[in-house]
Amino acid sequence: MIRTPLRPLARILDARQKGENPDAIERENKRIRHEQMRDQSRLRAEGRLLVLGVFFFCAFAVIGARMGLLATTDPVEPRAHAPGAVISASRADIVDRNGNILATNFETHALYAQPRNMVDPEAAAEKLVAVFPDLKKERLIKDFTGKRKFLWIKKKISPEQMQAVHEIGDPGLLFAPRDMRLYPNGTMAAHVLGGASYGKEGVHAAEVIGVAGAEKYFDDYLRDPANGNKPLQLSLDLTVQAAAERVLYGGMKLMNAKGATSVLMDVKTGEVISVVSLPTFDPNNRPRPLTEGDASDTPLFNRSVQGVYELGSTFKIFAAVQAIDLGLVNARTVIDTKGPFKVGGFKIGEFRGKNYGPLSVSDIIVKSSNRGTGRMALQIGAKRQQAFLKSLGFFEATPFEIVEASGGKPLLPKRWTDLSTVTISYGHGLSSSPMHLAAGYAAIANGGFQVKPTLMKQTGPQLGPRVMSARAAADGRRMLRKVVSEGTASFGEVPGYFVGGKTGTADKPKRRGGYYKDKVIATFASMFPAHDPKYVLIVTLDEPVETSGDKPRRTAGWTAVPVAAEMIRRIAPLLGLRPAVEPDKEPVVTLISSN
Amino acid sequence: MSYLEYTVKHTPSGFRKILFLNWPLAILLAAVCGVGFLMLYSVAGGSFSPWAEPQMKRFGVGLVGMIVVAMVPIWLWRNLSGLAFAMALVLLVGVEFFGEQSKGAQRWIDLGFIRLQPSELMKVTLVMFLAAYYDWLPTKKTSRPFWVLLPILIILVPTFLVLRQPDLGTSILLLTAGGGLMFLAGVHWAYFATVIAAAAGLVIAVFQSRGASWQLLNDYQYRRIDTFLNPAVDPLGAGYHITQSKIALGSGGWTGRGFMQGTQSRLNFLPEKHTDFIFTTLAEEFGFVGGISLLGLYALIIIFCVVTAVMNKDRFSSLLTLGIALNFFLFFAVNMSMVMGLAPVVGVPLPLVSYGGSAMLVLLLAFGLVQSAHIHRPRQS
Repeated sequence: MIRTPLRPLARILDARQKGENPDAIERENKRIRHEQMRDQSRLRAEGRLLVLGVFFFCAFAVIGARMGLLATTDPVEPRAHAPGAVISASRADIVDRNGNILATNFETHALYAQPRNMVDPEAAAEKLVAVFPDLKKERLIKDFTGKRKFLWIKKKISPEQMQAVHEIGDPGLLFAPRDMRLYPNGTMAAHVLGGASYGKEGVHAAEVIGVAGAEKYFDDYLRDPANGNKPLQLSLDLTVQAAAERVLYGGMKLMNAKGATSVLMDVKTGEVISVVSLPTFDPNNRPRPLTEGDASDTPLFNRSVQGVYELGSTFKIFAAVQAIDLGLVNARTVIDTKGPFKVGGFKIGEFRGKNYGPLSVSDIIVKSSNRGTGRMALQIGAKRQQAFLKSLGFFEATPFEIVEASGGKPLLPKRWTDLSTVTISYGHGLSSSPMHLAAGYAAIANGGFQVKPTLMKQTGPQLGPRVMSARAAADGRRMLRKVVSEGTASFGEVPGYFVGGKTGTADKPKRRGGYYKDKVIATFASMFPAHDPKYVLIVTLDEPVETSGDKPRRTAGWTAVPVAAEMIRRIAPLLGLRPAVEPDKEPVVTLISSN
Repeated sequence: MSYLEYTVKHTPSGFRKILFLNWPLAILLAAVCGVGFLMLYSVAGGSFSPWAEPQMKRFGVGLVGMIVVAMVPIWLWRNLSGLAFAMALVLLVGVEFFGEQSKGAQRWIDLGFIRLQPSELMKVTLVMFLAAYYDWLPTKKTSRPFWVLLPILIILVPTFLVLRQPDLGTSILLLTAGGGLMFLAGVHWAYFATVIAAAAGLVIAVFQSRGASWQLLNDYQYRRIDTFLNPAVDPLGAGYHITQSKIALGSGGWTGRGFMQGTQSRLNFLPEKHTDFIFTTLAEEFGFVGGISLLGLYALIIIFCVVTAVMNKDRFSSLLTLGIALNFFLFFAVNMSMVMGLAPVVGVPLPLVSYGGSAMLVLLLAFGLVQSAHIHRPRQS
């Protein structure tokens, strides 16, 4: 920058010559320079001010415009959209085979609070306690005045309670719509249905998820919106189920049993028409599972599939039909049941030390001879016995469509010795559930075909591979009929319905090994009508005692059989069976057996 | 050009000074405060307690303070500005150690006779000090790097201290007001361009790196930024204030629901309804007309300040007036933008309207300085 000197020499000298004060020139130049600088900075300042002014103006314009925009828009109530998947509350109904509702949904509300929106937390708390006496006022006040922004107060409230809360009128008390799972029949079929509870909960909906039974097994199907809320149809028949539950409950009380279970199965389709386990519970209000003690002590325990018991003499028929099927014997073949009969160093005895002597195969079943069955089993041999029982489904958990079924795995001997073969033939050493037994008996009842128990309604017979000859099955049925008409299950006779079946009384095992002397599992496995069975019915009582006589009686013939007979009397008409005259009387007594 | 180069002969003296106050400005300030009383009265449900009455008392004290400050010659204030800044800085450091907690932030300091928010004081003293600095600094040195670095340091130290309290809103205000003053003082625009470009570059880099291999922040930090920038994502959580105040503004419509008829604020839907969000009450009760009128009052205050600043030949006075005007402007612009969802919620009150002692007192005293600059402006004979 070229600077103009404040005292240019030429002008100073010139001024001196003229006799003027040279300082005036300097002053003049200073003033000019000053003004130049001032103008320059002024210009810059004005530029800056202009920028600032434009900035101010723009800001005012934007704020004013925004104000106008907001003033003209209609306010929209905010809706929270939770991140991630939307909670879907839809859940299909469950119906029985005739379309009657077993489980459905019911719109209800949950109550929650947003304390920061509350006008008068203390008054609100007081009024809430008046509506819900179980709430604690101090607790509510603490929650409402504390730091919490959100809290659930009640998970389910009735419409009346909702109205009462509405009338409190506090903007901080809010309702969340809830689909509640409702079981209109209460305890009926509780173990099959299981129950449901809330999964992910939001303010606008809550997931309903199955926690047990079919609700859990079919959870994906029930919650899948793609199914268009088509109800899930089960094989159960609500009417039969109701009757069966009532009869079994009465029977359990009468026989002083601590538990009972029954399974009614269609022999050709495997459809379970009714399944009861007592004691029961209300799936609308599922009890909490036990944290200690024996699992079977809770009403949640499903004896029909989870109760794995030694089912005793009911197994004998399997040895008999297999022996016939293999051609080793026929129904009239006589087998000596005299003792002693030792297997692997163990003596096999009869019930109450009886000794039946020589008996036909048919009579072995009718009289329930352990030694006779054992001798047949030894002839069959372990290998073939295992294969046969396996084909009847006794080696695996049943495929019954509730989650608990997969837990009901049969208990098999670790080493299948000859002793095992013999004891298993009369129902000891192999534990299985009543559902297993029903499937096994169904194979005899339907003419020798494997069936799998199912909870789904079927449209036609679902026969599996043949597991025994039709002849063997027919012989088996005839023997079972005889057990009722002249054997241990004589209380099982129901006029017109020709019940066939086999009793089984097994001592309950102690937890630490050995058996109780006075605690039994009494089972009656039956089919009706015996000449052309449509249904298999298993009734099992846990620790029954029949006390009408002078001595307490615990055998199945005195306990399980009368209960089963009463049940058949009640449900056979409901199943559409007409009482009839038995067409297929036992043929005239043959020479061999009369000897 | 400094006041020393002018004759002060024509400057009024004694109590005659009162006649030379910038009366329109004083009346505008009183009007804005009046709007504040009205709103506080309404928010309290038609009651002078608990907010309107103390606010009015403070206004009385503040008004007297303003006149007293106005009476003191501006050159005295200029000479005291360094001391004032130092004091405010000491108080700000004091808050760090002796401050009181309120709503998760440490902002208050108890001096025995008064409870003070030093960050409010800092807003004015920073402007004063910078104005004095540029008055002292020869114009030609204004853009030299060293002389630019110095004021940057002067701005950043209090900004950092306020940020630690934590008070994001005030620190943004300090930073912007300080930067604005430097801009007005004539610091070369290239400096501002550099800073703005660097800041923009950083922001872009941070967002560009998201999801890339060289990600600069953690994922959760990005999510926080997201809700901070766009509270609408979470209308019942982080965006609660904003949604509710938008509803209030919308329900006010053009002419509003009428005085004391606002539901949104009355029914406690709005938090901070008497402080940061008081504008929503105004907008709901008096509608767009009421809102734009308040904005007009603010605009007039700014215009009067700018006019007196331009007319004032004294560099300190001029810069100080502009600085205070800028501060005031940022105050309400940030608050209104925040309430209307244009800016993130940072916690800046509406000046002179929101309930709050420190802010009001300090603002009135600051306008006392503006008045003093106006009264004692250099007059040519």
